[in-house]
Amino acid sequence: MYRWVEHTGELELELEARSERGLFQEALAALGGLLSERAGDEGADASSVLHQVSASAPDRATLLAEWLSELAYLAESAGFVPDRVERLEVSGNALDATVVGHRASLPHLVKAVTYHRLGMWDEDETWRARVILDV
Amino acid sequence: MTELRQLDETLWEIPASDRPDMRVPARVFADPELLDAIRTDRSLEQLQNVATLPGVIGAALAMPDIHQGYGFPVGGLAATEPPDGVVSPGGVGYDINCGVRLLATAITADELGDRKETLVHEIARLVPAGAGREAAVKLNGTELDRVLRGGPAALLELRGIGTDDDVEHTESGGRLDGADPDTVSPRARQRGSGQLGTVGSGNHFVELQRVARVLDEPCAQSYGLEPDAVTVLIHSGSRGLGHQVCTDYVKRMDANVARHGIELPDRQLACAPLSAPESQDYLGAMAAAANFAWANRAAIAHSVRKAIRTVLGTEAAASTRQVYDVAHNVAKLEPYGGRELCVHRKGATRAFPPGHDEIPPDYREAGQPVFIPGSMGTSSFVLAGRQGSMQRSFGSTCHGAGRRMSRTGARKRVQGAELRRQLEADGITVRCSSNRGLAEEAPFAYKDVESVVEIVERAGLARRVAQLRPIGVVKG
Repeated sequence: MYRWVEHTGELELELEARSERGLFQEALAALGGLLSERAGDEGADASSVLHQVSASAPDRATLLAEWLSELAYLAESAGFVPDRVERLEVSGNALDATVVGHRASLPHLVKAVTYHRLGMWDEDETWRARVILDV
Repeated sequence: MTELRQLDETLWEIPASDRPDMRVPARVFADPELLDAIRTDRSLEQLQNVATLPGVIGAALAMPDIHQGYGFPVGGLAATEPPDGVVSPGGVGYDINCGVRLLATAITADELGDRKETLVHEIARLVPAGAGREAAVKLNGTELDRVLRGGPAALLELRGIGTDDDVEHTESGGRLDGADPDTVSPRARQRGSGQLGTVGSGNHFVELQRVARVLDEPCAQSYGLEPDAVTVLIHSGSRGLGHQVCTDYVKRMDANVARHGIELPDRQLACAPLSAPESQDYLGAMAAAANFAWANRAAIAHSVRKAIRTVLGTEAAASTRQVYDVAHNVAKLEPYGGRELCVHRKGATRAFPPGHDEIPPDYREAGQPVFIPGSMGTSSFVLAGRQGSMQRSFGSTCHGAGRRMSRTGARKRVQGAELRRQLEADGITVRCSSNRGLAEEAPFAYKDVESVVEIVERAGLARRVAQLRPIGVVKG
């Protein structure tokens, strides 16, 4: 599950899942949804596109930020809207994934994924995370 | 709620004793009404966080347009002292050298007449803004290096874009020393290479205006601003290149902050002593991104002049001169009180007073021009730097009106199509590809720019020279 919270100049993403791995999937779904809302019709292509994504970080919360950062980069550089995770391997503080999505005409929406109030934690058998995006 | 102590008519303070980790006070230029707005978000807490940075000098300062950011608040500034004082990429922001350039034409709004709409449409056609628009200027790797080192002067040499007069009338001559393309990552270069000459989205724009009021005639004359003259204000920055530079160095410094024995209340304040290798690399990359941003605004101005040539003729384009160009997200080494300090400005504008040797000779008597864009549909202001800025705010003043409402909040209050109609009814021709984006930038989403400007004038940081009213706007 994910929820966007807006502040005056940024977007805060709150995530919930049954597992840490689930948080990464929810993060992809959240970003994909956000980009789809903003996508224009020009140059759109519904056919599936695959991208390999790798990332590493000093800890899992930062790895989540890096994951979103890689997806945001693909959105900006390739007009890629992620739809789902086909393969996700999270090992230690590194991940390797195959992501399926489609191309669209996208504004340069996400400047960066910040470390501001970044967190990932386990609460009442639910994994939660918070990531703030500069838009 | 944090208690603020009023120091004088326009300055309020949270003392350093308010938190054990604060090294200096946190101070904000405001009046009671603006303070009420400031208190509604986390900006004061973030300002206190800035006051914890190692080597911070004097006070962590905020301008009246302050609002919540990440790490530093937007509208915040702080000076640190080398070699052990830190530099923090979050104290500059992701959009390195986001800034504003003002052009002044030699025609009046009356003379422009009903060609206004055609001019706005031609600017929209020639200046890429918004989704999927390609760069106006494409550079290969070697050319990009030259622009990263040399800014708009390099672009002039390479492609004949801009003029020597433009370069002279740009803050720092459009070029920060020490720019090092080797410290800019391949990803940053890739993100920037397709974006030179593009405006971007969000609150970036090209706005057609008229000089509605001259408030300081001698200064206005120095700047070449005549009553009713048509002006063009360009608001843009370093685009994806700068965003990636900040991302890269926040990541690198975050990984090393413990090694320097630094504890931070917010990871986004990731920093390192100015003497550290990662800081020197950041300054090299930040300077490169800043130079890229000045070149970006030069390329946009070139497209604007082309539009003027098409609609109004060659003479009109040739007589369109650049008033000045200012950065509002940058870190610079500047002398204060006999010491060289690293001044971080994140949503704050340099405002040097009359006589300062960094001001172009033809403006030296007037003081450095400062441009304060209002929100869409409201006035912008031209100011002149005053001596008070050197004494009170490390040579700085505000940068804009500052957001006070989220994008969602703005969209809930007005539909983009209705806002477009309202602006057109007010005589403002609008070209924006996204009604959603338009609604998000509605005037009521921002603080009142006139209140903000009045505070900085009363505080002695800068003085009003002219009021500019919008007559057309191009947004992404």
